[in-house]
Amino acid sequence: MHKFICLIALSFIITFQAQAHKVVASAWTDGADIEGEAGFSNGDMAIAGTIVDVFKNEGEKIGQTKILDDGLFRFTPTEIASYRFFVNLGAGHVANVTVTPDELPDNLREAGVTSTKVASPTTSTGPMPSPAIATLIAKAVRKEIQPLRKEIASYKEKNDLQSILGGIGYIFGLTGIVFYIAARRKESREA
Amino acid sequence: MHIVDGALSNDVVIAGGIIAVAGIGFGLRKMDMEKIPAAGILSATFFVASLIHVPLGPSSVHLIMNGLAGLILGWAAFPALFVGLMLQALFFGYGGVTVLGVNTVAIALPAVMMHYACRHGIQSQHKKIVMMWAAIAGAGSIALTALIVTLCLALTGEAFIPAAKLVVIAHTPVMAIEGFLCACAVSLIHRVKPDLFNTFFKAKVATHA
Repeated sequence: MHKFICLIALSFIITFQAQAHKVVASAWTDGADIEGEAGFSNGDMAIAGTIVDVFKNEGEKIGQTKILDDGLFRFTPTEIASYRFFVNLGAGHVANVTVTPDELPDNLREAGVTSTKVASPTTSTGPMPSPAIATLIAKAVRKEIQPLRKEIASYKEKNDLQSILGGIGYIFGLTGIVFYIAARRKESREA
Repeated sequence: MHIVDGALSNDVVIAGGIIAVAGIGFGLRKMDMEKIPAAGILSATFFVASLIHVPLGPSSVHLIMNGLAGLILGWAAFPALFVGLMLQALFFGYGGVTVLGVNTVAIALPAVMMHYACRHGIQSQHKKIVMMWAAIAGAGSIALTALIVTLCLALTGEAFIPAAKLVVIAHTPVMAIEGFLCACAVSLIHRVKPDLFNTFFKAKVATHA
């Protein structure tokens, strides 16, 4: 009996340290490529060599790429479209990431714009950073916010006490409703 | 052991939904006044138990406690476990709303099967035999759940044999823990509230009397 209580207490301690075991994936642009990562919400990255299927405009499959050593994958888009990346980490763990046209690499978008519009004269009013520096800045910012993104991802996965208690409350409420229905049924049977 | 949205083909999702609805309907018909509080408690147990993750190698597995629910509730385990799964999907994003039916079947069906397989065993007067059968129910329902999940994935296209091996091996420790917990719980019920089982196996007790 004593042991049993200890066990329950222990299980509760574990509960609040526990993390959901879900698949998390995200994608961003890096130079002319789309770069993305996939892994589990407990921090493990996807195994290198896992196939990532690429779909265009929510439809046809246009190719596939592979997860590299650090859980990252790369894909070079060739035209303006929304790209969907589908990762299957096995045993029913799948994830979808969609990159919309306005998230695509700048060079691609600019190419698309200049083809439809007359090239506008340079209208820069201030000192604009050269493309090389812009890329460096983008890289640095991405590196800086990497831990932040991870933190947000794990924060989203957090099972806080509130929702656990809320769930238990729902269950008790439903039990009450079922009781009510059962009582009505019994009454009408007796009547 | 939750299948997530988008992992299964539509056929499997629809079939799972139909079986789940049938099971829930049947379970609700079988649920009488005495069973309702037990169903609520076991639903809550399942809801919380699934949050307990046991880290294991590259991934982690969690308790399910469907064996105990099945032993006590029988068919009523279907609605009880469905409620738990639905709340997990809504609150924590475990599984998903579209695959709720498949997940319900994967977890509640083994519970019902273990109920019929082990119900006579836990009626025994000997504590050891009771605990043994309870452990079988706890471990067996996990194994069956793992098999159903793998089968669903196989129907969608994943190779069955390697995946099944992986899932069953990954769940061996959970099977041991669940078997142990189920045995403890059943032996506790036998000691403090033996009529819990008698109430629910009324038909059998009546024929003995």
